[in-house]
Amino acid sequence: MTQTRCTDQVILDLWHPLAAVSELPVGVVVDTVLLEERLSLAADSAGKAAVWRSRPEIAADNPVDIAALGGTLPVKIAYGYVWTSLGNPPADIFPIPEYAEADRRRLNAATLGVNVSAPRAIENFLDMGHFPYVHTDILGAEPHTEVKEYDVEISVDRDEILATRCRFFQPMASTASDGGADVDYIYRVPHPYCSVLYKSSPLDESRLDVIAVFLQPVDQEHVRAHMMLCVLDEDNEDKVIKRFQQTIFGQDKPILENQFPKRLPLDPRAETPIRADKSAIAYRRWLSQKGVTYGVIPAAT
Amino acid sequence: MITLYDYELSGNCYKLRLLMGMLGVEWKTVPVDFYPGREHKSDWFLKINPLGQLPVIDDDGLVLRDAQAILVYLASKYDASGTWYPRDNPALLGEISQWLAFADGITGTASAARLHDALFYDFDVEAARAGAHRLFRILDEHLWFGEQEGRNWICSASQPTIADIACFPYIMLSEEGGIPRQDYPAIRRWCDRVKRLKGFSVMSGVFPAGPAKAA
Amino acid sequence: MLDLAKTRWHPIAAGYDLPLRHVFHGQLLGREFAVWRADDGYVNIWENRCLHRGVRLSIGINDGRELKCQYHGWRYSNRTAGCTYIPAHPADAPARTITNRTFAAVERYGLVWSAEEPQGEVPEIPGLAEGELLALRGIPVNAPADVVAARLKGYRFQPNAALDGKDAKVAVEASNDFTVALRAVEGGAATLAAFFVQPVDSNRSVIRGVLDGKVEGAARLAVLRHHNELLSALRVAVEAEAAHKPAPAPLEPVIERVSPELAEMPEETKHGRKATIRVQVARKWPAADGIAGFELRPIKGLLPTFQPGAHIDVHLPNGLIRQYSITNGPGESDSYVIGVKLERDSKGGSTCLHETVREGDVLAISEPRNNFPLRRDAVQTLFIAGGIGITPLLAMAQALKNQSLAHELHYFAQNEAQLAFPEKTSTLGASLKPHLGLSPDQTGAMLREILSGYGPDKHVYLCGPGPMLEAARHIAAEMGWPETAVHFEYFKNTNVIDDSTSFEVALARSCMTLTVPAGKTILEVMRDAGIDMPSSCEQGACGTCLATVIEGEPDHQDVYLNDAERKSGTKIMTCVSRAKSARLVLDL
Repeated sequence: MTQTRCTDQVILDLWHPLAAVSELPVGVVVDTVLLEERLSLAADSAGKAAVWRSRPEIAADNPVDIAALGGTLPVKIAYGYVWTSLGNPPADIFPIPEYAEADRRRLNAATLGVNVSAPRAIENFLDMGHFPYVHTDILGAEPHTEVKEYDVEISVDRDEILATRCRFFQPMASTASDGGADVDYIYRVPHPYCSVLYKSSPLDESRLDVIAVFLQPVDQEHVRAHMMLCVLDEDNEDKVIKRFQQTIFGQDKPILENQFPKRLPLDPRAETPIRADKSAIAYRRWLSQKGVTYGVIPAAT
Repeated sequence: MITLYDYELSGNCYKLRLLMGMLGVEWKTVPVDFYPGREHKSDWFLKINPLGQLPVIDDDGLVLRDAQAILVYLASKYDASGTWYPRDNPALLGEISQWLAFADGITGTASAARLHDALFYDFDVEAARAGAHRLFRILDEHLWFGEQEGRNWICSASQPTIADIACFPYIMLSEEGGIPRQDYPAIRRWCDRVKRLKGFSVMSGVFPAGPAKAA
Repeated sequence: MLDLAKTRWHPIAAGYDLPLRHVFHGQLLGREFAVWRADDGYVNIWENRCLHRGVRLSIGINDGRELKCQYHGWRYSNRTAGCTYIPAHPADAPARTITNRTFAAVERYGLVWSAEEPQGEVPEIPGLAEGELLALRGIPVNAPADVVAARLKGYRFQPNAALDGKDAKVAVEASNDFTVALRAVEGGAATLAAFFVQPVDSNRSVIRGVLDGKVEGAARLAVLRHHNELLSALRVAVEAEAAHKPAPAPLEPVIERVSPELAEMPEETKHGRKATIRVQVARKWPAADGIAGFELRPIKGLLPTFQPGAHIDVHLPNGLIRQYSITNGPGESDSYVIGVKLERDSKGGSTCLHETVREGDVLAISEPRNNFPLRRDAVQTLFIAGGIGITPLLAMAQALKNQSLAHELHYFAQNEAQLAFPEKTSTLGASLKPHLGLSPDQTGAMLREILSGYGPDKHVYLCGPGPMLEAARHIAAEMGWPETAVHFEYFKNTNVIDDSTSFEVALARSCMTLTVPAGKTILEVMRDAGIDMPSSCEQGACGTCLATVIEGEPDHQDVYLNDAERKSGTKIMTCVSRAKSARLVLDL
């Protein structure tokens, strides 16, 4: 078995996203990098995919018959993406039941490269306090800066972090009214490098839009961020929905790329948490408990 | 009204949004799914711009492509003050053209590095970064001596010109291509000055500046 | 060599790099700095990361008084680098120990100098006179500092007065690993050039050159260009040389850990500890009729970070301790300015300050405590001050003004001569609304007018004499202001304290049960038992000795808590309040 550069067994054994199925050309080799390993992948017309460690004889942009390939890596198609693993992955990828609801729009808003570690990007995804400053007049606006008390738990049976009762003031919160209002959020971290956000739908008060970020760790300080949308929206073209999400992510990017150190420090004394950071604190503890070392600076023991 | 064929994360599109905002020109946006949809290479868009590039404007039937060309057009037509592109000052027009070409160089290097890092374009990123650093050294020196001579802007006018607008976006976004600006303090100060211009607007990746000290 | 380099002063920027309202991105020996000049001229050199989430402060905003982080809007004060506001928790005063790491800053030879662990002074260069020199453009070089310095010894240039010549004799006057002083002579012209090589990182440097003598006008530009051209050529050669060698690994500066208490998520409120600071009365002046202004400067070092609404204890020469609000605007961190009203019924506090304490005297003060924190998430904030009650509200109004947040400062006084600190209030412009010479009835009517039109996200802050405060709170309640939107601070507690009861106090976290007899306070009994509890006014007005009640019914006798807080029965001021139940359990 080939030695990988990443020696973190927890991370090696995970499923990792590589590409949106909708953007893969049929029967053509595409190259990517996961955990510092060069990988190739391809999909066929039946929607099946294969992933393998890159080989010189099967170069990118060339046709390939995936049925005839041997020595491939584990592969799964989930939530519109091709996933693989460099270790021994679990049977299933974490569930997002809403993805199966027929009336939802499901799309990849974009896959963007960011010069940051995956855990820093997850922590930013969980953060509400930056809305008025980074997503000014979209997700927040001064002077409405308060992060109200919310609940966080580490679910033992599901092995994931859950933050509930999250609320944040959003200007133009709904299409129905001009004024701003508190918007409800629920955050899940079901995977060290993936997070799922539920947010009140402006169309239907009783239902939630689902926005997820699936991070493909290229190396410890670079990710490909896959942004999955699963939303209730009957009016807007795909590209309008994507543009909104790319605008938001593009605003986060200079923050993420200016964080130092790039890897997430797990030492509780590395940075200063406040109550608003409850979910981030839980996330850091959870990574420590799992013994994750890739993309983080483990606490000295 | 002007129609702008626009992609939010494009610095070249931002140049036009920036200038139109400063000139107080209204426009409407047609979003183009540049990434991941590659809509700028789609049939309908190639009919508008056979080069398959953003941005494009349509001003009551006049269709123009190329960010720098459109800056010239917008300033010539909509700037009542005549300072952004002073048509009656040949020396300054020469300077502006020279720096518009320089801005193209920035696009070819700093923007290329960003496309490589963020959108996975298959470019020689080391060459692109080295090229951007060469240009930034030249611009930093130019701006530093400008400050010493009491000049705030790229061209030798007392007011900013479209050369400032053309150079600004891909300099501000350079870090997304792995090109830090730490070694270019005069460029960093000039960026603050651009951000404090009346009507300045941001794009994703560009933060606003704080208030200038009242004189 | 680089270890030694940490103890030496190096230039990290030039004066021209620090225009007002800019943040310079500096670096020395691998460590990044955010460098900014406040409007008062002070040069701040800080570790380039926000303590919260590590975001570079060099992308932050210098508003002239404070540096604001782009990520969550945390504000850090000029000089102290202490955090003054955390917008995510607008009702709380941030623990004042959230302080960014600062580095020494000295301006010399037109350059800004710093060091990680400075020993000694900034190098003295014979022949360079302050104010009589010309700082050259800094030239960043991708090469190690010693390689650059070695090359500079061979640098050839023309004296300022003989730029057109070609034959200047250049001699090395002095040199070491980071400094090269050269003198060029041609005919009667001579120029001394000192080059300081800033070790940015293991493989990066900046050449910072300074010439002796002032040159003006076109000649100045010619000299600057002459050196820029020559140094750029030198850079090309050095970089070519460095490119042939393997690049050394970048330095990895050690980032200090934050204090253990900051690593914990703070509780909803947090109180300061006792500390005593010695200050000198730098200035004493009549701030208004009957009000003396005092400017208190630290004897050494910097004063701690303060927030608007904070007060200090002033320990007086006669042994009394009195509380005074800090009136300073944000970032005014080189001294504390307080206002002291001469009380007619003074028990010796205000009389002592008015009559005995003089300019030059040394006083002991506590660290600032903020039990009257200012929210900055209101859509509009009203300040209502009566007389000397202006002092905390003045600090608050200046903070909102600095952030361009909507506010009005209503200032009630007998006459114009009693309006204190005109030099500060005048900066508030139209938001200052004086109300002069009103009778109690007229005051009530005016308060009604001011407090009409409550709306969500409006807040009012009250400070003034007891009767006016009572009236204002009453009117606010009538006009529909919820208690959570009405914030107040009394000067003193005029309630008659009944300390005749006796009861038990159990301290849950200390596992201790104490008996409080008649005539003693909870605070005194706890102190006797060795519990260190912060306190300040000790008359139930300032809020410092607040404790959380887990069980039992408090007998509130303070003026700090509002009615809702009293009713909830979960908070108690331990300096005056007692128990109605036989037993109180406190979270201490």
